Amino acid sequence: MALRTPRTVPWSRRGSKNGIGPWLLVPAAILLVVFLFRPLARTVQLSGYASDIIGNPTRWVGIDNYVDLVLDPEFVHTVFVSIAIALLGMALATFTALLTVMLLRRRLLAGGLFSVIFSLPFAYSAASASVIFAGLFAPSVGVLNVILGGVGIDGPEWLANPVAAVWAVSIATAWYQFGFAFLVLTAAVRDVPPEIVEAAQLDGAGALRLAGRVLIPMMRPSILFLTVTQTIDGLQTFAQIQVLTRGGPANATTNFVYRLYQLAFGNGTPDFGRASVIAIVLVVIVAAITALQFRLFGRERNA
Amino acid sequence: MSAPNTSIRRKTRAPRPGTVVRFIVVIAIAAIVFLPVYVSFLSAFMPNGEIVRNGIWPNVTRFTMTNFIKAATSTPLPQQYLVSIAVVTLQTIAQMITGALAAYALVFPRWRGRGMAFILVLITLAIPGESIVIPNYELVSQIGLRNTILGVVIPYLAAGYPIFLLRQAFAAIPSEIWEASRLDGAGDLRALFAIIMPACRPQVTTAIIWSALAAWNGYFWPLLITDTDAARTVQVGIAQLPSSDATNPAVVFAGVVLVVIPTMVLVIAAQRFLVNGLARGVLR
Repeated sequence: MALRTPRTVPWSRRGSKNGIGPWLLVPAAILLVVFLFRPLARTVQLSGYASDIIGNPTRWVGIDNYVDLVLDPEFVHTVFVSIAIALLGMALATFTALLTVMLLRRRLLAGGLFSVIFSLPFAYSAASASVIFAGLFAPSVGVLNVILGGVGIDGPEWLANPVAAVWAVSIATAWYQFGFAFLVLTAAVRDVPPEIVEAAQLDGAGALRLAGRVLIPMMRPSILFLTVTQTIDGLQTFAQIQVLTRGGPANATTNFVYRLYQLAFGNGTPDFGRASVIAIVLVVIVAAITALQFRLFGRERNA
Repeated sequence: MSAPNTSIRRKTRAPRPGTVVRFIVVIAIAAIVFLPVYVSFLSAFMPNGEIVRNGIWPNVTRFTMTNFIKAATSTPLPQQYLVSIAVVTLQTIAQMITGALAAYALVFPRWRGRGMAFILVLITLAIPGESIVIPNYELVSQIGLRNTILGVVIPYLAAGYPIFLLRQAFAAIPSEIWEASRLDGAGDLRALFAIIMPACRPQVTTAIIWSALAAWNGYFWPLLITDTDAARTVQVGIAQLPSSDATNPAVVFAGVVLVVIPTMVLVIAAQRFLVNGLARGVLR
């Protein structure tokens, strides 16, 4: 809001109304340009180059890297694996967190203690969660199959079977995502106005109807936010794969970021060109999901 | 399920059947969610291979601190802890300063291009960090910062999300407050740090916690830009322990406990803040 400057204000103060204000953006702007926008442009540029024998991206090949990758069944597999891990992790974390928050909404014995327990996974990074799950899933000394055996279930060879390995990575991802999902949905359910809940209960709505017709619809923006951020986070899964499976068995768990890592920083000759193509594919997918989120949020607000 | 005419104010003494079922389901989910935490803590305080040999119920007679002593003496974790503390401190302070300055410039002074600048900040939120590591790796290596703490933090001295959080907080402050401070002769920096920042302390706290957690939990970039154990952060160090010959699984679990303690203290001590501040903050 522009305040009309009274004539009595000394000239010096009038003239410097903006002062150095706009220039305070400069430090952040320089850093974001150098370490975010420039590398983004450089990645696009690199994706048009092939490497020479010592790994320097010097040979301009245009869109050849893109064509190669699209025609490569291995890459198509990488796309499916990335999406599968992201969606499985997101669905497990969000659904379980939603169920838990619904169950804890009304007073419950030791409810506060349960809330702390359900927040604990938030204390774990992807790396530390992965290390624990490596211990749980380990072939001969894995604790999980010992426990499952105790209740009469013969657990799979988690990290040696391709399908089980995708589940193992997704479960580790879902576990550490669950903590954040629980915190966000707890905040969301507390924001539902109590009058609305009471009105629904007076109308005779049972627990299931209350959740399905009142609470979940009112929590939609938070649920949407979670599904989007956790899908994006899941598409960038790396530590879990590096620690648990190293992309195996037989590339069954090689996703975008792990493939990028192998191509650019693995043991072979660095191939920055192909790695950059994967980076660009990741950018495009994440940008598309984000744009979709904005559209859905916009509709939500207008509705 | 409550009957249609039941008063919602009625207080029941004996638990209803629905509550009992609810309690049992909550316990079952809690057991699954808690299992990885429990296994790692139990394994860390017991001799190696305890659970596989003797099951998951603790036997206090075999309690031991050996694994922690080994983790603290025969692994690089202590040194890496110091690296991580330095990374968190530098990154958080830098992101707060660059973020507060940028948010101020985006909210209070009116200037041409302000809206466009904010859109560019929003765009940074949609760029996955993993996709731009190759050019940053080239640049940081060229300027000689590979394998240094400065190299770990330099791409993250400014981040879009804290700018966005602070910008939203500042925008909610009535602009009369800013204008009054300007008419009193306060410069931009004084207005920002003496008036604006204290006025939105909850959001500033949220931004600090967000930045510190991101710095502490960072993995991909610190892994790429460091080559020696001594230069690595705890997250990279802990991920490499399982494949190291010098450690057995119990020592690895002890290492995880050590790495997770700071964030676990935060979760237990500040649970209410995490819900009301962080979780609600990210929704706005």
